[in-house]
Amino acid sequence: MKLTTRNAEIFVAVILALCSIGLMIKAAQNSITWTIEDNMGAGFMPFWLSLGMLICTIITIFKWVIRKSPQSNNNEPFIDPEANKYVYVTILSLIGLILGTAYVGIYISLIFFLFFYLKNFSEKSNLFISVFSIATPIVTFCFFEWLLKITLPQGISEPLFYPIYELMY
Amino acid sequence: METFYLLMNGIGTALVPFNLALLIFGCLIGLFVGAMPGLGSVNGVAILIPITFIVPPTAAIIFLAAVYYGAMYGGAISSIMLGIPGASTAVATVFDGRPLAQKGEAITGLTAAAVGSFVGGTVSVILFTLFAPPLAKVALAFNAPETFALMVMAFATFVGLGGDDIPKTCFSILIGLVLSTIGLDLISGKPRLIFFDIPGFLHGVNFLVLAIGIYGIGEMLWTLETTKGAVKISSISFTFKDVVLSVKKLKGTMMAMTIGSFLGFFVGILPAAGATPAALMAYGITKQLSKNSAEFGKGAVAGVVAPECANNSASTGSMLPMLTLGIPGSPTTAILLGGMILWGLTPGPLLFTQEPEFVWGLIGSLYIANFFALILNVALIPAFIMVLRVPFAILAPVIFVLCVTGGYAPTQSIHDVWLMLLFGVAGYILRKLDYPVAPAVLSIVLGPLAEKAMRQSLIISDGSFNIFLDFTIKPIAATIMYIALIFLFLPLINILKNQLFPKKA
Repeated sequence: MKLTTRNAEIFVAVILALCSIGLMIKAAQNSITWTIEDNMGAGFMPFWLSLGMLICTIITIFKWVIRKSPQSNNNEPFIDPEANKYVYVTILSLIGLILGTAYVGIYISLIFFLFFYLKNFSEKSNLFISVFSIATPIVTFCFFEWLLKITLPQGISEPLFYPIYELMY
Repeated sequence: METFYLLMNGIGTALVPFNLALLIFGCLIGLFVGAMPGLGSVNGVAILIPITFIVPPTAAIIFLAAVYYGAMYGGAISSIMLGIPGASTAVATVFDGRPLAQKGEAITGLTAAAVGSFVGGTVSVILFTLFAPPLAKVALAFNAPETFALMVMAFATFVGLGGDDIPKTCFSILIGLVLSTIGLDLISGKPRLIFFDIPGFLHGVNFLVLAIGIYGIGEMLWTLETTKGAVKISSISFTFKDVVLSVKKLKGTMMAMTIGSFLGFFVGILPAAGATPAALMAYGITKQLSKNSAEFGKGAVAGVVAPECANNSASTGSMLPMLTLGIPGSPTTAILLGGMILWGLTPGPLLFTQEPEFVWGLIGSLYIANFFALILNVALIPAFIMVLRVPFAILAPVIFVLCVTGGYAPTQSIHDVWLMLLFGVAGYILRKLDYPVAPAVLSIVLGPLAEKAMRQSLIISDGSFNIFLDFTIKPIAATIMYIALIFLFLPLINILKNQLFPKKA
């Protein structure tokens, strides 16, 4: 099925409706009742708010069926095919950056992320890309760790920073 | 007359060269910290508190208040230039600040933010000077029912923030509220909506994570798609004449300034409210009342002025209960309060009589800090607009790096960074389908405050909703609640009217 805006509208609305039902089930693990003696149960607010979400998505689905909303009449591709590369590569590289941050630490993954991103999307020289990819994590380190004393995740690369911490403190 | 004399003494204290140097330095640091996504005045003040032990208390509070003030100005910079809220207080500034920059009117946006901040700051300091003790009593009269009514009024203005698709706007409000309930229940202490038993959900969803995700990553994905990565580098230039022309564009923003300044100050003095709800409410109400409400979200100057007036005004307002009652009005003033205790001062009603030099030195410094923050802001506009000259291929990954560090810094949890990416992608998809995302951000900010106030009120009233509606029980709460209902139904009536009786072209 071609992912047109019309298809995306119903696809997303159904996903959101399912999410709303999931939230209601999850909220119902706590008490969803409200009595004067016990006041509101912990699940009361999330349950009824999720029900409200469900009603809103049902209305959106209904509007799609009767072709009332602008999106339900739009048969253009949901994401411009020529721009697919930019969107998907960016999302995948961000997933890579965060995965890398959790395992090898933010500073090392930043070097790879910046190098990969700039190599793919910029027309700069290799020298510029290399210098920029290494300088940015250094500036980030100085700002957060040295100036603000906020430690960013270092993963398995943490021992590499011990000598720098000894110099700093 | 006595107040005037004391104020002049206070301004004199702030103008002592050492204090003045600290004040300017504090404003600069604040600007920088405020402009960094994920960091706000609270981080700046917390980090710098130890430095103040080596200076007298008056100089210390002048320095920290200047940092606080500078951060309020600085938050707008990245909101306008990069589309990422520099601080939580500047979330509402993104709504119109970013579109202004995208239209090539970054100077107008930055000038509007600076002037708005100055006006809000000045109005609030004057109110502070003249009415500190009686206003503190008003703040005390605001209990849970009144706070809830105020929150309902804020939510009512949100309906007007969305587009014409009311179900999608309501969905956005509701999902923000549901996200705000994640974590430990405030009353029973039970965990709620802890998906897959992931411990990261126990501390809830930080609204900054949602805001940076939607406005940082989501916005960048949108830009990358619409431009296919070929964003034109802005050749925007800067001259003093540009600033003067930008100031002239502020002529029609008197209402935004008034709403932002007074509402901001009032919300600021309420304990536990603070500048973020103030800015969001000011934006919503200004949009509701504006003749050009259709322009909001597309680069309306008033949409920048209102929240910037409000957040600066609220930052001053939040100092009022701190000094007069010893109750902090915001997280930053809670840290300032801690600092005052460490310096050997006792906040409360007697502080004005026992430590006049300290109190009036602080009040005087707010006037001076306001002035210098404006000058610094305008003087640094050329530096800020240089950001727009950076090629997009380089700016984009830098923004992603700022998003990741900004998402991590507030709670220092990688779980939040994953959530931020999820919100970013979801925000991008929902925005393409015309779901308004701003109401979700606003709801997640005010949701916890509203829920807490509502549940406390219902405990007080034994479950009766009359506590919000009956003039004889809680007159202030009832008045605000009925105003909120008017705000709620106005846009609905307008939309219905437009649909039933469409205007002829």
